Amino acid sequence: MSVGEASTDGGKWLDAHYDPVAGLHTFSSCVALADLSGDGDSRLVLGDLGSAGSGMKLKVYRGTVLTNESSLLDLPAGLVSFFMDLHEPRIPAVAVASGPCIYVYKNLRPYFKFTLPGLEINTLEQDVWRQVREGQIDPSTLKEMLESLRTSDVPLSARSLHLLSLDVEQAEQFVHLHKQQPIRRQTVITCMGTLKKSTADEDGVSCLVIGTESSHVFILDPEAFIILTKMELPAPPTRMDVTGQFDVEFRITVACRNGNIYILRRESDRPKYCIELSSHAVGLVRVGKNVVVGCTDESLQGFTQKGKKLWRTVLPAPITTMAAMDLPTRGFQGVLVGVASCEVLLFRHKNLLSSVRMPDAVSSICFGRYGREDGTLIMTTKGGGLMVKILKRTAAFEDRDGAPGPPQAQSIRLNVPKKTKLYVDQTLRERESAPAMHRAFMMDLSRLRLAAAKAMVKVLECSLTPVSSGVGQPLKINAVVQGLGPAFKLTLNVQNTAACRPVMDLAISFQYDQSLYRVRTPFLRIPLLVPGIIYPLETFVDCTSDKGVSDIIKVFVLHGGRSAPLLTAHINMPVSEGLTLN
Amino acid sequence: MGLFDKLAGWLGLKKEVNVLCLGLDNSGKTTIINKLKPSNAQTQDIVPTIGFSIEKFKTSSLSFTVFDMSGQGRYRNLWEHYYKEGQAIIFVIDSADKLRMVVAKEELDTLLNHPDIKHRRVPILFFANKMDVRDALSSVKVSQLLCLENIKDKPWHICATDALKGEGLQEGVDWLQDQIKTMRT
Repeated sequence: MSVGEASTDGGKWLDAHYDPVAGLHTFSSCVALADLSGDGDSRLVLGDLGSAGSGMKLKVYRGTVLTNESSLLDLPAGLVSFFMDLHEPRIPAVAVASGPCIYVYKNLRPYFKFTLPGLEINTLEQDVWRQVREGQIDPSTLKEMLESLRTSDVPLSARSLHLLSLDVEQAEQFVHLHKQQPIRRQTVITCMGTLKKSTADEDGVSCLVIGTESSHVFILDPEAFIILTKMELPAPPTRMDVTGQFDVEFRITVACRNGNIYILRRESDRPKYCIELSSHAVGLVRVGKNVVVGCTDESLQGFTQKGKKLWRTVLPAPITTMAAMDLPTRGFQGVLVGVASCEVLLFRHKNLLSSVRMPDAVSSICFGRYGREDGTLIMTTKGGGLMVKILKRTAAFEDRDGAPGPPQAQSIRLNVPKKTKLYVDQTLRERESAPAMHRAFMMDLSRLRLAAAKAMVKVLECSLTPVSSGVGQPLKINAVVQGLGPAFKLTLNVQNTAACRPVMDLAISFQYDQSLYRVRTPFLRIPLLVPGIIYPLETFVDCTSDKGVSDIIKVFVLHGGRSAPLLTAHINMPVSEGLTLN
Repeated sequence: MGLFDKLAGWLGLKKEVNVLCLGLDNSGKTTIINKLKPSNAQTQDIVPTIGFSIEKFKTSSLSFTVFDMSGQGRYRNLWEHYYKEGQAIIFVIDSADKLRMVVAKEELDTLLNHPDIKHRRVPILFFANKMDVRDALSSVKVSQLLCLENIKDKPWHICATDALKGEGLQEGVDWLQDQIKTMRT
């Protein structure tokens, strides 16, 4: 199914708002919808990445207007809204992950900052920095030693790595500036998700789940902000999806930078299942119990939660972003895929349901309850625009190429007659004496093979075939009959198939029913046969009967001094259609 | 107006009129109806309507029976079942909700194109409600956004209202009353 077939429908969406110059630069992982004031009016919370590493902001929209804005210290890697306590009124907190920290906002005010624990520092690295601090070595030696450490695959701290990137004069300054402070090695957060603590309620308390550059996944307690669980992955995670409850059972699906997807479960701190993708994942969305993954090879793939591949569909352009479209009131679940060809495609399973044309490529998609409207689609574009669309109440999505399952024709009942007694008896007999029947069949098959082999041997012994492969004279003959009758032209093509030896002293004679045919030259001498060349020998056959019957003419290739023919060819003569001459 | 009507008016027997009150959820339909009722019958707390409720109030010459429909998305498909009975329509708009103006327009268009409404000269009264909210749209702007100028075959009127204080409601009801009277004669 191509995209061209699917109507680009504005028919299902109402254009609620479009601000092409909203100046929003963000990704789907940094967009959330949350009822921040607890009045049933959902707000849009965005972590704006700003431009060129500055102007990072946390922005809150209500309806069509920006109501709140606060600066962020670092580029946001993820933004989620979650309930961190059971206090009334139920107001969710907003967590923004940037660098090694998570900033938690309550009522849009900074509330808590969580920093990931530092990583272990290599003792050698510590040692060389101590030496430089005590003046035992100079900065250039330090740099050399750090370089050798790095080449031996030791993970270095950010400060050492920065030093290695500087040239000599800058390095000296840098060392003097920093040598007094102890070195720390910090990891950074790459992705974040939420996991309900103990209840599946909409407003249940949630834990934060974070993936780090050091290939770990941490689950944080929402109230005390302590690490509840630490899990390890083979590669740094880039995207994550979390489902379940922390106290009951949960699954964390993580797309990693090595191109694999790992599925973590409650009881183990190692991945339980692994999906090896053919190309890197750019989007990971859960639909019901399945996981839909968008890949860099312009494909969308569906997997079960145990990592079994269900389907794969090819997209018209590279994927820019993905989001889930979940509409529980209508029992609808789908996946929204933003593609580089300025479109947003809606898929249910592998079927394309509709596509929305956009004025610009989409950089983030968020679907959910915004304001008081449940089915709101919020998109930001590459150029910084903000677009809000509302799903029509009457919009219905239908799969255009049939739902998975048997085709329609299969359910039509055929008029099959009832099973006869004979049939039933036969099936019973087959069931009871299957081994005997099999044996009998195998015996007959062997006999048939034996008979065929015997016949073959006889044919070869009597040279009844038109091809002779004997050691003496390997020959081949074929015959062509031309004409309508009663006179036929018979052309015999004789070929010596030997590699280099010519054949001499051959002749051809015919055997036929003399009451039907007369061969003008019943005996032909064959000249010397040079290997490989086809010699056509012609003779004429007259049909002497006017009964309209035909017969076989046998052709023998004979060798001087031998009684058995070398070859035999049977020519099925056609019925003479002309008048007989005599 | 016939002699009988006048007589009925003198006797205090008023004409019954069925009115549908429509609009999106949280636009203030129930609050408006509540304000139109006599002050001793008004309730203090307004909760989201489930399904619909039937309210009655009287003006100088008419007795209104209002079908106060719920505006929530899942109940909006109930509206069309009452179109036949409605002799007039009150359509309430939340002027402060710019985002959902398209949704209000969509519902209005569906209403106007419904076979039970399309070919009848039903008077429609629009209440551009919530004028007290700071950045609310003016009634002119609301009528522009809803493309009210395209309604050619029905009498309509838009009032800027504040249902909490009751401002602007009486003007609208007076207009509706006049329209219903002219329809009768």
